[in-house]
Amino acid sequence: MSDLAIDIRNVVKRYEEHVAVRDLSLQVPTGSVYGLLGPNGAGKTTTIRMILDIIAPDAGTISLFGQPHTTIGVLDRVGYLPEERGLYKKMQVRRVLLFLAELKGVKPAEATRRIDEWLERFSLTTADKDWGDAKVDELSRGMQQKVQFIATLLHDPDLVILDEPFSGLDPINAQALKDAVLELKQRGKTVIFSTHVMDNAEKMCDSVCIISGGVKVLDGRVTDVKRAVGVRHVALAVAGDVQNGVGDVLRDRALVTKMEGNTNYFELELAPNADSQTLLRRLIDAGASIQRFELVQPSLHQIFLQRVGATGIETGMSGHG
Amino acid sequence: MDNKMFVVAKREFLERVRSKWFVWITLLVPVLLATAFLVPTYIAMRSNASSAVRHITIIDATGAGLGDRIAKALMADSSLGLATGDTVAPRVKVVATSDVAAQEKAATADVQQPNHIAGYLVLNDSALTGKSARYAGRNASSISDMDKLTGIVRQEVMMLRLEREGVRKDIIGDLATTKLRLNSERLSEHGRSGSGTAGLAAGIAVGVMLFMSIIFHGQNILRGVLEEKSTRVAEVVISSVKPETLLAGKVLGVGAVGLTQQVAWLGISYYLINFLGPIITKGMSSGSAPAAMGGGAFSSMSLAVIGVALVYFVIGFVFYATLYAAAGSMVNSEQEAQQAAVPVMLLLMSTWLLVNPVIANPNSTLSVVLSWLPWSSPIIMPMRMGLTSVSPLTVVGSIVVAILGSIGAMLLSARIYRVGMLMYGKKPSFAEVVKWIRYA
Repeated sequence: MSDLAIDIRNVVKRYEEHVAVRDLSLQVPTGSVYGLLGPNGAGKTTTIRMILDIIAPDAGTISLFGQPHTTIGVLDRVGYLPEERGLYKKMQVRRVLLFLAELKGVKPAEATRRIDEWLERFSLTTADKDWGDAKVDELSRGMQQKVQFIATLLHDPDLVILDEPFSGLDPINAQALKDAVLELKQRGKTVIFSTHVMDNAEKMCDSVCIISGGVKVLDGRVTDVKRAVGVRHVALAVAGDVQNGVGDVLRDRALVTKMEGNTNYFELELAPNADSQTLLRRLIDAGASIQRFELVQPSLHQIFLQRVGATGIETGMSGHG
Repeated sequence: MDNKMFVVAKREFLERVRSKWFVWITLLVPVLLATAFLVPTYIAMRSNASSAVRHITIIDATGAGLGDRIAKALMADSSLGLATGDTVAPRVKVVATSDVAAQEKAATADVQQPNHIAGYLVLNDSALTGKSARYAGRNASSISDMDKLTGIVRQEVMMLRLEREGVRKDIIGDLATTKLRLNSERLSEHGRSGSGTAGLAAGIAVGVMLFMSIIFHGQNILRGVLEEKSTRVAEVVISSVKPETLLAGKVLGVGAVGLTQQVAWLGISYYLINFLGPIITKGMSSGSAPAAMGGGAFSSMSLAVIGVALVYFVIGFVFYATLYAAAGSMVNSEQEAQQAAVPVMLLLMSTWLLVNPVIANPNSTLSVVLSWLPWSSPIIMPMRMGLTSVSPLTVVGSIVVAILGSIGAMLLSARIYRVGMLMYGKKPSFAEVVKWIRYA
């Protein structure tokens, strides 16, 4: 078996008016949690649909577990939670789940057993109410989300693809989802999810790929990505009001390209060729009473803004032109 | 792969058969159909002459006993009313010609009393010569009553006159009981097959069932596809099966529902008409035409015609169902779906509108052409087979053409379906759909 769960090489998808994905290559190691990050319209969903053979790429190859993804049976090892959730509204919950499991090749008897397990685990069957016998549209939104998630995992897939899994989830269900993803990872499963919420990605992912305008901006292990970007961020706290001289230093574009914060506390991003020690010296010279001067690792959020802001939006715009 | 198609088909079949709608439609249509056969029978029965024809006064001024003869004939007529124990006989008053006016006045008063006699019949010399008689009564506007009375008066006048001319009594008796029935039978180069009316009824019944089934289940598929699309469940399903497999499974499953329903319809209709029919029409004179037509319609339908009808149902169903599915995949709302289904409906309705000319002349050029076109042959051909003789070779040829047409419809629909299922937003233009077909 290959140690890559997903291997995408030079994939291109063109639509009538624009190119949704251009020359995208990415590798997802088996057993990892992989984040596919990007702004809306970046091509995340198109990429996921191509992995699932819902749409065919115009060029390039996609392999799952070392086999072409069109190989019969390969997609039965994949579980998919689409961004737009939906189930047959008028069907009984159990019957929907049985149907979706059978579509993935699970035998009815085995599927029935697992359905009972999962319903209990997600508190959809309790002593006084068995929601499994209810019709889908009798369920609350939260319960429907759970049913959909069960449907994704019912056939015990080796690769789980979640498209924007956190959208529309309340904090409790969001936490349950995070726990479930970590549990999948512990069991050696591969999880890939798309999101534009960087906090979730940072906490959960081993590796990420940021795409924008259908183009890969960067990818790799989260630690490597951060190291490559380098430590360009400074957390600064000063006592008292910021004197004019200090303000001038902070506004010097040769030193600081970005500044966020209030009167005493700032998050700074160093200019490309600036040195943190130079900045510190200049601040002291200007008379600042420094309480804190710390070099911090950039968050994924910052990296995302920095990289997509610099290159992504432009290509994104031309891509949609 | 095929296995997945059956999983899809199983879901479509079970979910539909479980629905209340299915149960109701399956039970109601044969009831309606049987009603359509039995009500005319019942009405025809009710429109027979009533026993009121007997409840009259006969003023006989002929002096030849014509009044008594007519009274006897009226009592002997078994077709008059249901009550065989009806003992109310016509009152016969033999009077002199000069007395007619006074008797008429008295009879008029009788008729005008409630719940008394229905009317009075005046017979005089003019009646005896076969020219005219007079009747006045409450039921004078009942065509069937007057037909019955006229018939009996005519016959009795004729017999009286034959007797006067010296014709032997036994010959007259024989003539009086002559009730000829014309038994018609359809004859073609392939032999005898049922009565003409029975063939017509069977042909129409089969056509109606095919048409209704295709419309009903076609719309069903349209709605099902639309539901999958609008609830977005399509994306999960298509991540597990190819759209073509999904489409095939869907058509297979809903087709099985349709076939189940057809068999149920035929069975229930057969039962209603053949077993309940005689109960409803009990007491009718034997050999009444409408009853024979209703009952004979299904019994005369040969197994071959039923078999061919089912084959055509399957082919026609695939043809229309795939097109309906394609229409459903193109759109996002119920209203748009009805618009998108218009071309499909046009094909179906144009066929239906031409059913009458086909019935009127099953061997016309129009009828022949319609039984070859793949979108009309599934309805027209079984009808024509019921109405006229169609050579087996023609049937086979038309089936082959219909199968080719269905395959074409399937390929076309699969392409639209594949793209349409994942396309949200505005309804595509015709040009865009053509692009989908060429692109896929």
